[in-house]
Amino acid sequence: MQFLKIYVKRYWKLFCAAVMCLTLEAFCDLMQPTIMSKIVDVGVAEKQMGYVIKMGGLMLMVAAIGAAAAVSRNIIASNVSQRFGAELRADIFTKIHSFSFDNIDKFETASLITRLTNDVTQVQNFVNGLMRIFVKAPLLCLGSLVMAARLNLHMALVLLAVVPIVAIILFVNMKIGFPYFTKIQKALDGVNGVIREYLSGVRVVKAFNRFDYEETRFKRANDELTGLSVTAMRVMAIFSPSITLTVNFGIVAILWLGGLGVNKGSIHVGQIIAFINYMTQILFSLMMISFVFTMFVRAKASAERIGEVFQEENGMKTKENPKEMFDLKGRVDFHNVCFSYSGTIGEPVIKNITFTCKPGETVGIIGSTGSGKSSLVNLIPRFYDATTGSVKVNGVDVKDIDSKKLREKIAMVSQKTVLFTGSIIDNIKWGKEEASFQEVERAAEASGAHKFIEAFPEGYDTKLGQGGVNLSGGQKQRISIARALIKKPEVLILDDCTSAVDVATEGKIREALKEYSCGITCLVVAQRITSVMDADKIVVLDNGEIVGIGKHDELMDNCEVYQDIFHSQLGKEMM
Amino acid sequence: MTQIYEQKNDNKKKGANIPEGVMSGITVGPGRNGRGPGGRMGMGPVVKPKDFKGTLRRLWRYFENEKKLLSLIFTFIIIDSALALAVPYLIGRSIDAMSIKNNLVDFGALKIIIGVLLTAYIIDGIIIFFQGWLMAGVSQHIVANLRSTLFSKFQKLSVSFFDTHTHGDIMSRLTNDIDNVSTTISQSITQLVSGVITILGALIMMLILSPILTLASVITIPMVFGLTKTISKKTRILFKEQQMQLGKLNGQIEETISGIEVIKSFNREEKVIEQFNEVNLKLCEVGIKAQICSGFLMPIMNVINNIGFIAVAAVGGTLAVRSLITVGVIASFISYSRQFTRPLNDLANIFNTLQSAVAGAERVFEVLDEKEEKADIKNAKIIDKPRGHVVFENVTFGYREDVNILNNISFEAKEGSTIALVGPTGAGKTTIVNLLARFYDVSSGHILIDGKDIREYTRDSLRKCFGIVLQDTYLFSGTIKENIKYGRLDASDEEVEKAAVMANADVFIKRLKKGYDTHITESGSNLSQGQRQLLAIARAILANPSILILDEATSSVDTRTELHIQEAMLKLMKGRTSFIIAHRLSTIRDADIIMVIDDGGIVERGSHDLLIKNKGKYYNMYFNQFKNLGV
Repeated sequence: MQFLKIYVKRYWKLFCAAVMCLTLEAFCDLMQPTIMSKIVDVGVAEKQMGYVIKMGGLMLMVAAIGAAAAVSRNIIASNVSQRFGAELRADIFTKIHSFSFDNIDKFETASLITRLTNDVTQVQNFVNGLMRIFVKAPLLCLGSLVMAARLNLHMALVLLAVVPIVAIILFVNMKIGFPYFTKIQKALDGVNGVIREYLSGVRVVKAFNRFDYEETRFKRANDELTGLSVTAMRVMAIFSPSITLTVNFGIVAILWLGGLGVNKGSIHVGQIIAFINYMTQILFSLMMISFVFTMFVRAKASAERIGEVFQEENGMKTKENPKEMFDLKGRVDFHNVCFSYSGTIGEPVIKNITFTCKPGETVGIIGSTGSGKSSLVNLIPRFYDATTGSVKVNGVDVKDIDSKKLREKIAMVSQKTVLFTGSIIDNIKWGKEEASFQEVERAAEASGAHKFIEAFPEGYDTKLGQGGVNLSGGQKQRISIARALIKKPEVLILDDCTSAVDVATEGKIREALKEYSCGITCLVVAQRITSVMDADKIVVLDNGEIVGIGKHDELMDNCEVYQDIFHSQLGKEMM
Repeated sequence: MTQIYEQKNDNKKKGANIPEGVMSGITVGPGRNGRGPGGRMGMGPVVKPKDFKGTLRRLWRYFENEKKLLSLIFTFIIIDSALALAVPYLIGRSIDAMSIKNNLVDFGALKIIIGVLLTAYIIDGIIIFFQGWLMAGVSQHIVANLRSTLFSKFQKLSVSFFDTHTHGDIMSRLTNDIDNVSTTISQSITQLVSGVITILGALIMMLILSPILTLASVITIPMVFGLTKTISKKTRILFKEQQMQLGKLNGQIEETISGIEVIKSFNREEKVIEQFNEVNLKLCEVGIKAQICSGFLMPIMNVINNIGFIAVAAVGGTLAVRSLITVGVIASFISYSRQFTRPLNDLANIFNTLQSAVAGAERVFEVLDEKEEKADIKNAKIIDKPRGHVVFENVTFGYREDVNILNNISFEAKEGSTIALVGPTGAGKTTIVNLLARFYDVSSGHILIDGKDIREYTRDSLRKCFGIVLQDTYLFSGTIKENIKYGRLDASDEEVEKAAVMANADVFIKRLKKGYDTHITESGSNLSQGQRQLLAIARAILANPSILILDEATSSVDTRTELHIQEAMLKLMKGRTSFIIAHRLSTIRDADIIMVIDDGGIVERGSHDLLIKNKGKYYNMYFNQFKNLGV
């Protein structure tokens, strides 16, 4: 948990101030029973009204000081914990955005999101708790013990018996409790799993009429969770009363011993009352300590998960003096490139690939699913680093270029269309923030999006829900193409991004693109052979290797895989 | 003296809370951000329910089943509260027994009192234990019941519900919200009952002990109320704002992290971080304000309580001077006055937690109130092994009432024939399938199978007639065998294997280490797209349906793999009425009838050759894909 260090450094002074306020607060809390006992013992018992008023004033003062300490502690604690939380969140967020795709793949986005939200909250709450009660509880416990012992050593012997017993009960409680919590968590995951599967497969469930089957599955998981929770809660139900009972026995013992003491004249009645007060104080703080412990375990798990994020280093380093790339505008070279995703074993995804896209050329990449098409183009904007060999853009190895500058020259439309909350025009302008409305329109026209956008009542100002939920798959794809086009990149990569668009529309988009992207190097990844047929060059991939390269006609002559694909899509008689 | 019983009570509650707190904490799922243990410290934002009373009443129905146990628990709570009330009195008496003149202790009386006290403690301990024991069962059963009620509701909900709600939302209703309901309600009810009893009991005891002192201690009550009201009024607004900012931030996080590829490729990192920081800062500021504001409550309350104590001590002292009252009475009285004010604070808190729980319950009930799929009509017939003669008669349909997707569509599919549906995206192809399987009901017109309107059949038996293979082949976590068996649960292993052989899936399954017992992970990531598709086909083969629907069944598979699958599909289609939807026209050339759907209507129909000859829309579409071939 090294990452916490900077925050410790930043906040330790304020933290200490909060703890000091807390100590003062605890001290005032501890004073109060003593003063009260004095009021009862001296003031009320001896019927001295002056004393009652005087001590009452003192007590009020102590309470006021305590309150002042509590309020200032709260102000400090609120500032520290909220700022700490916000800074931690911002730091993780920034860190994640510095990650390479390798790093992100390793964590998976869902897990990164929970780390940013749940885990940060967990840690923040713990830090806040530290400054509120967690430190106060042990303080109160110790203080009460000291005060009680000072009050009457004889009666303090009772504490000597009570405290260890309570401690043992607490220990056993935790020892037994924790395994249950992990089990419950697992059972809960089970229930969630069934629900999640049901939700994603709801059509299949309905189509096959398998609701009863699903319900049995759910019932099994639900019953298990319920059973476990009941058992756990029942087991835990014994501990709280037994702690209370132990302390209550102590109170009875105090009353008896106190009675004996009072009889001998060695103890005042008020002392007994104060003593009982301290005992309950101790009980309270012991309970708090056990709570602190469970909180700590949870916060620790969260902190570890956050620590993992901070520890992750982006292995993709750029050279100290990144090269500029002036010449060879829009040229892309692959030279003996091999690539495999880190952490995977077995054959590499891409094997020994060499080819060149000349400036302004349109290059099609085709192959079956899993042949490595997407992986190949992902190397161009340096989303991943080639394992061996080199990828060059504008004649310079991508590893020698500042990634930012590199990505400025490249626009990529990926298979997975991601749109963001905001209006359509905002989304398209992602590619070029200062773009004029005319530019936006032209890009949308080229991507075949203009017509349907215009048809919306609000046109380009139509607001998109998260992920563009109110658009069809084909519409989303066309907007994301527009977003790439408006950038007017030197290299345009279209990674199977028209799969949800029907053939006729796709043809139109292709036509419009040709005009719009004149002079831009275009890499088109596709499954449909018609998408790449008229490319200047077609690269046929199979199993990570190039099995054919050339124009359509050439490939029809000499590339078996290409012929296969062609036949599978267009049928034999088209030959 | 003062704090004795106030604290004892407190401990009891804390003690009871700790295990539950831990549990509800650990069961926190995703999406419950910002509602950690903070809520228990009185800083949890309160989401206001819309109809507090109505929802509560409705919630009560789920508690009714456990009526007997609940009333037993209530009895326990009442006894427990009564004991808690008796204890200060007993301690006061024991102090009195000690403070007889000249420090001479009346041991006889002390023995009796201590004996009674001990018994009270033990009984109390046992009762608390049983109360916890029973409550565990009751609350968990109520939750389990709610959860399965909700899950059962899923069956009755139409597909459109699942189409219009995100999975995350539905999930969080089934888990977080229900969980929230259970823990809060089971805790709050205990607290509410014991709180009310304690207040009443304490008031009565105080009045019995000394009406004058009662008057003195009651002076703080308006102060308490005034304070709580002013502070909670302010904090409620702040917490609401905090919750809003948090929601905004979480939305941003989710969006930007899942779209990080795009952000990186557009070099938008800095911009996104800037936007994030903006909201993050706002959240931080409002969080600080809210926390500081709510933090005033407890310290000031403490001061007020002390004022009350001093008032009682001063008045009590004066009375004691005139021997109108004993010291013991003052001691007990002080305890009672604490017991009296403490639950008052609690009740305000309980109301808050109760509010958020009821808001959760409302979200659950919202789902339960969703419109269900229309029930089968009376005397609905069971359709079994139909011949597969399908007729659409003037069918009109729209997902929204004002926009029709299909306009007056009519066609006939003879038994055993193959119908292909083609057309641009959004033309309504999938809608036809949705209507056929009765995922949705037609707005007007009729769909007939074997001459009868499908609404006259039971929905269950109707769907049994169909085998549907969708673009998104959904596989469940489980073994391959289980997944194929999903088509027909009572199928034997031989039948499963036979189906797999027919689907061309047998080859790859046999190559897997564990064969048919290979476990498929939730996302099915250990199988390729094509393999998954073959399993889905095997599943449909096993179901042996009379009518087959293939909705873009192969569009996410590359074309070479598709050839492989097509072979299997042809086997599957043999002898059944089949509906095929496809982008790729090559897939459908052999269909008996090809229907071109556009703008919600059938614009062309006929065999491939006929449509090519007619040189209409289909002709254009077909040759469009070869346009750049120059054919």
